[in-house]
Amino acid sequence: MSMAEDVVQTEAVRPHHTLWGDAFIRLRRNRLAVVGGVLVLLVALAAIFVPIFSPYGFAQQNLDAIREGPSWSHLFGTDELGRDVFTRLFAGARTSLMVGIFVQVIVIVIGLPIGAIAAYAGGRTDNLIMRFVDVMYAFPDILLIILIRAILGGSIYMIFLAIGLVAWVNVARLVRGQILSLKERDFATAARAMGAPGRYIVWRHLLPNSLGPIIVLITFGIPRAIFAEAALSYIGIGIKPPTPSWGTMIRDGYDLIFSAPHLVLFPAIALGILMLAFTFLGDGLRDALDPRLRR
Amino acid sequence: MVKRIIFLVFTLALILPLVLIGCGEEAPAAPQVLRANLAGEPSTIDPNRASWALERSVIMQCFQGLLEFNQDLTLKAVVAREIPTVGNGGISSDGMTYTFKLRTNVTWSDGEKVTAQDFEYSIKRLLDPDLACEYAGFYFDIVGGEDYFGAADQDAATKAQLRDAVGVKAKDDYTLEINIVRPRPTFLQIMALWCTYPVREDIIEAYGAQWTEPPHYIGNGPFVLTEWVHQDHMTFKVNEDYWGTKPKLSEIQYKMITDQNAELAAYMNNELDLARVPTGSEKTIMDDPVLSQEIVRYPELITFAFQFNVSKPPFDNKLLRQAISTAIDRVSFVDKVRNGVGAPAYSWIPPGMPGYDPELGLEYTFDVTKARQLLVQAGYSDVSKLPEIKFQYSDTAGNRLIAQFLQGQIQDNLGITITLEPMETKAFQELVNAELHNWAWFGWGADYPDPDNWLPELFGTGAGNNHTTYSNPEFDALADEALSELDNTKRLQLWAQAQEMVIDDCPIATMYYRERFWLAKPNVKDLLTTGMDGQLPGDMFFYETYLSE
Amino acid sequence: MLKYTVRRSFWIIIVLLAVAFITFSLMHLVPGGPWDREKTLPPQVVENLNIKYGLDKSFFEQFGNFLWGVLQGDLGLSYTYQDRDVTDIILQGLPKTAILGITAFLLAIIIGIPLGMAAALRQNSIIDYFSVFFSTLFASIPGFVLGIFLIILFSVTLHLLPTGGWGSPKQLIMPAFALGALPAAYIARITRASILEVSRQDYIRTARAKGLRERVVMFRHILRNALIPVLTIAGPELAFLIAGSFIIETLFSIPGIGRLFVQGVFQRDYGLIMGAILFYAFAVAIVNLIVDLLYAVVDPRIRYD
Repeated sequence: MSMAEDVVQTEAVRPHHTLWGDAFIRLRRNRLAVVGGVLVLLVALAAIFVPIFSPYGFAQQNLDAIREGPSWSHLFGTDELGRDVFTRLFAGARTSLMVGIFVQVIVIVIGLPIGAIAAYAGGRTDNLIMRFVDVMYAFPDILLIILIRAILGGSIYMIFLAIGLVAWVNVARLVRGQILSLKERDFATAARAMGAPGRYIVWRHLLPNSLGPIIVLITFGIPRAIFAEAALSYIGIGIKPPTPSWGTMIRDGYDLIFSAPHLVLFPAIALGILMLAFTFLGDGLRDALDPRLRR
Repeated sequence: MVKRIIFLVFTLALILPLVLIGCGEEAPAAPQVLRANLAGEPSTIDPNRASWALERSVIMQCFQGLLEFNQDLTLKAVVAREIPTVGNGGISSDGMTYTFKLRTNVTWSDGEKVTAQDFEYSIKRLLDPDLACEYAGFYFDIVGGEDYFGAADQDAATKAQLRDAVGVKAKDDYTLEINIVRPRPTFLQIMALWCTYPVREDIIEAYGAQWTEPPHYIGNGPFVLTEWVHQDHMTFKVNEDYWGTKPKLSEIQYKMITDQNAELAAYMNNELDLARVPTGSEKTIMDDPVLSQEIVRYPELITFAFQFNVSKPPFDNKLLRQAISTAIDRVSFVDKVRNGVGAPAYSWIPPGMPGYDPELGLEYTFDVTKARQLLVQAGYSDVSKLPEIKFQYSDTAGNRLIAQFLQGQIQDNLGITITLEPMETKAFQELVNAELHNWAWFGWGADYPDPDNWLPELFGTGAGNNHTTYSNPEFDALADEALSELDNTKRLQLWAQAQEMVIDDCPIATMYYRERFWLAKPNVKDLLTTGMDGQLPGDMFFYETYLSE
Repeated sequence: MLKYTVRRSFWIIIVLLAVAFITFSLMHLVPGGPWDREKTLPPQVVENLNIKYGLDKSFFEQFGNFLWGVLQGDLGLSYTYQDRDVTDIILQGLPKTAILGITAFLLAIIIGIPLGMAAALRQNSIIDYFSVFFSTLFASIPGFVLGIFLIILFSVTLHLLPTGGWGSPKQLIMPAFALGALPAAYIARITRASILEVSRQDYIRTARAKGLRERVVMFRHILRNALIPVLTIAGPELAFLIAGSFIIETLFSIPGIGRLFVQGVFQRDYGLIMGAILFYAFAVAIVNLIVDLLYAVVDPRIRYD
């Protein structure tokens, strides 16, 4: 297809694109983002299907095959109770993906509106909200997480909640910072002058314009949440075994790093790959959502 | 394929050091400086108040008591001239008055004489309610001890009065008399514990809480603490005024590395002469041509077990408890999961101390058929009728492993699904202290090598560390008798009977006796280890240890 | 600006009070107390300990006593390290943690910002991909794993650096790197995203159209504006680093306050926790104030009055 034709076509019938529809199209054109998306999808699919079709259960112990290195019967070797690391890795992907994603959902649901309201409302509201955020900030994460967990109890949802309740402050501050600097820009001033209501301006103009750094923060937040879960198991309030998570696998494998390094390496590599995938996807999303790049 | 190569490279990078360490240059041995890792900052190094292994590792170097233990855990007289007996007049015929004759040549590290008054002060201080020493309860048999310790809310005058009433008196500079309220055949062992070691009244009065900081930390032991950089390291030098045979080492350094991998790495980088081997990695060390020559391993007086809460269903059912105990493959756990480190435990009191009975509890030897029969007898031919069984544990990597092992065993061998409940450590401890758990994992180590430290405190009705809520009047009566029985043969028989009772009632499913597995550089000689060492192997006798070329 | 600073400083006191009160309440709400031990303490000992530490008093009385102590500059006794004042413990650990934290932070800035800039300037080039790969790599390795790899490589295999401890600059290299790697990656990514964002703004096009030299555009226009989100992240990141890292301090045996702090929570060392949290909260509040003031410096459109 020649360039000329393309140009003519777009000029002739410029289809109406919504922000998100447009973004999706542009996302598809970004090769790295597609690779990232496909990888995330693959991990998700493997997380669903590998444990189902594996000849081993993720909790199935074999005391005669303990801490073995990779072999044909155990592709990624076995752990300290003779369980198949390959199966556990993908069963663990379920937990870790859930932790990573649900925590970010909680973070956005709380952090985004609070940051936006603070910045746009300004004055006393802003001050009150930001002092509250200051109080939240002043607590070290680990203390809050331990306390929240100890008070709320031990299910996996409480882990999401505990980590999420601590992590939203970053997003809130970032959103506020972004909107503060954007709201004096011409386009926002213009919208205000035209009598657009505050909520509309924030939602249609300010938020989309500040999505870039926010998305980067979120793609970074996913592994941070996965680490937070690992840290929780490090300090003794992690996921309920025998259900694996990458965090606990890395943590438990760490103790055997001198004798069975594969127990750390495979989950660490898996985490790296997933991270890379989220990063590509995040970058693609950032570009795709950039309103200034819209057609 | 690529992943396999990456794996190989990484593995090589990790294994290489294990191999290379052998080829590394021979570092010149520092002149008689032993470098060990205390693995943490001691909570206090005040002998009266200390309670943890790593605190003892410090106190053992700087203080010496009336009595101490030999390497075979028999008693020896140290500051006392001899071990009191009825024969030498040290113990009254009713067994309630002890007289210690002190050596006259024992000095403090500042040259002052160690006198009976120092011991009197120390023991009374141990019972001071305002200090709330953790081991005070061990000394409540001393006349007036419990009353004094219980007077925390009284005014100063009453406290002083109660203090004076405590049955510890320095008759003269070198004679100490202690009166107790009932005959206690193990009293001398209790008097060999670190918390009765002498402390200096003038120093403590002068410096208050600061007295444990060098140079105020004055002891009567072979070494002096010369430097304590908090959270970082401690340095001990030979006590130039030491009254006994001077130690061979000139200096001991205690680092405070808490991470086990870091500790092993420091050992491999020749920063330490002694190091722990992380649990689970023992086989790699045993297979290593060089490191395998540096292994120091020996059994400890420590037993690990699962404790059932016997007053909560379903574990109020003795047959169910026995079924579970029989369904656990301890041998596989020790041999395979633990690389053969430790020994499977069928009864409670560990080998290496009086009261150990190798025949006891063998009925719990792993046997699936028998376990299933017991389960049927317990009334659970259909396991789905069992209520949900929860297993609570403090969530550490080691406990996580044991919990999952247990879960696998019970599932595979009995078809019962148990729910694991990892808890934050303190929350778990509170739960157990309140006896709200169903089933928990715990270990017990000897304070002194006698059954009376192992049975009444754990299985006596309402006893402090009885978290199985086990209550058996027959056991209580036996224990009460044995605690004061002066005829040693009869006493041990009573304890044997008591232990049999416990093992048959099965409030605990014992699992293994712990074994220490450490590394020591080949030039560390005469490391005299015991089953009751503090944090470090051989730390009761570092004054015998030396470094060869 | 001055008025704003004064008002914010006043708020810091309120925030500290709130933090102290909430922590105090939570610590008492959480199951498990300082005397719950693996080996159960006799009830008499627990009672005496409670009297000694004033835990037999009512909740508000205890909090009141704590505040009164703070006003006199006394944070009380540690429950874990029984012979030491909390103030002493913190003052001894703080400089070490701070030196480590600042070193790690500088490392993160020195690596992160140029890497982010390079990636943004050469979007979709090798540098960009390297930057993404580098930052992803370090973001995906938990600190303790990165740390032990460094130790195995530089200490155990090459015998170049000591495995840990405190005192010489040599001992600072690995922990600073292990601590700074994640923030460096993070800052690089934020810088890249932010620069790309700003470069597309109309005023940048205008500047370029005016024929300004690329370097001027880059440094005077793009970078200055792009640094705002970086600042937002860097401030808390610094506070976070200064508060110390339990894992890094544990792994490299650094006698800082990071591990004391977590130990305090584990041990329910109320004294240590309250002391440490006040220090932490104070540090965070100050850093945040500075960041907010810097906003006004960097971005003239933001004014405080």
